[in-house]
Amino acid sequence: MSARPYLWVIGGSAGSFTPLRQALLQVPYDPELTLVLCLHRLRQARFEITNAFLRIKSWRVAEPDDKTPIEGGCIYIAPADYHLLIEKEGYFSLSVEEPVHFSRPSIDVTMFSVIQAGWPRAGGILLSGANKDGAHGLFKMYQAGYFTAVQDPADAEVPHMPNAAIALFTPHLRFLISDLPALLVQKPIPPK
Amino acid sequence: MIEEVLPDIAESDLEAFFQITHTIYGYDFRDYARASVLRRLGTILKKYGLPDVKALNQRLLKQKEFFETFLSEFTIGTTELFRDPSAWVALRKQALPLFLSTSQIRIWHAGTSTGEEVLSLAILLTEMGLYPRAQIFATDIDQKALQTAPKARYPLRYKRTYQENFQQVLPRVPFSRYAYEEGNELVFDPQLLRNVRFLRHNLVSDEPFSRFEMILCRNVLIYFTPELQDRVIRKFIQALVPGGILMIGTKESLFWCKEAEKKLASVNNLERIYRRQG
Repeated sequence: MSARPYLWVIGGSAGSFTPLRQALLQVPYDPELTLVLCLHRLRQARFEITNAFLRIKSWRVAEPDDKTPIEGGCIYIAPADYHLLIEKEGYFSLSVEEPVHFSRPSIDVTMFSVIQAGWPRAGGILLSGANKDGAHGLFKMYQAGYFTAVQDPADAEVPHMPNAAIALFTPHLRFLISDLPALLVQKPIPPK
Repeated sequence: MIEEVLPDIAESDLEAFFQITHTIYGYDFRDYARASVLRRLGTILKKYGLPDVKALNQRLLKQKEFFETFLSEFTIGTTELFRDPSAWVALRKQALPLFLSTSQIRIWHAGTSTGEEVLSLAILLTEMGLYPRAQIFATDIDQKALQTAPKARYPLRYKRTYQENFQQVLPRVPFSRYAYEEGNELVFDPQLLRNVRFLRHNLVSDEPFSRFEMILCRNVLIYFTPELQDRVIRKFIQALVPGGILMIGTKESLFWCKEAEKKLASVNNLERIYRRQG
């Protein structure tokens, strides 16, 4: 398996899809970078979100199957009704374990798996959202030494999710959604 | 509300856990995908108020009867009637018609959990007039699930999802043909299980059954490493008659199984339905 790509784990729910998609359209392709999107979605909407993200130029956009190798230059979208876990061997695992914060996929689950896999180069981002899934995961990423960022609650359509994170700790960065493309092109390395 | 927990699990404790479960109870979890193992262990520690995996190991050593409870928590039993309706529509339209003239249809449902998928299958077979010729082996590693499945009774709160799924697969069939409410339970026609045998079976270590026209194993492989997936899929291929059908979960793949490339042809790639060649 080739070198592990840089990994941004991006979580969001209500109010995050459209601005995230807009932002990703502006991120230049980078073969060393991988974006993992964990977005709350209706279980019935099996492919709709993925289809919406498909037209992002040059990046490979995919809903990973179980045990899909994690490659650079890809945007992966957690499939509906599965948790998406990152394994230290460099592939994804899926799980149908119980929802966390009523959510499957759950952002907490994906973020925790990054920590447990000891993924060498990763960062966590929380966007607009209506519940507190992801706040705890991002906090643990912060404690484990990963770079963490949240959308400024004042800038978020639904501020509950970033607010829940800020209530737990002070992330490295609060950003405006318009700055997300600039953030994503930077490799996630925590400031010492 | 389920909260996620992130346990700090020492590698040595995990090693001891694998040893105990394997040598004392005969269950080898070493080739289970690590991220899920850690997550399950975290959930179990929290549920039983155990401080760490060392304490869980002690309990498994001292309290033999705790193992079944543990196993039930450790394995993931999430299932529903016609989960992923489009996959069942594909099975109904593209796979089951292959057996219209087959005198006997032996089916292995591996990882049957609480039985909803066996009922789904039995309903489709009944609707197609194939049920009398079918013989279904429903197996699981979890004894507790196997005690639930033959009752075919579920909490009434599941009804909405089950009925919605059912109607997507069989839009012209009334749900009431197969299920009714009784108190706070949803009860399925026990006739649906008359050709079903529920058996305990461990995919990792037990010998596979053989000569099946169809094998269904959905959302079980996701908990295995690629190496174990390869081993299990090869067992399935061996257990199928030529022309037999294999159906796995819609997000599972045969990617890690070289033999599958040679021996299995796709019937419906999106819904992960395959057919053994030759």
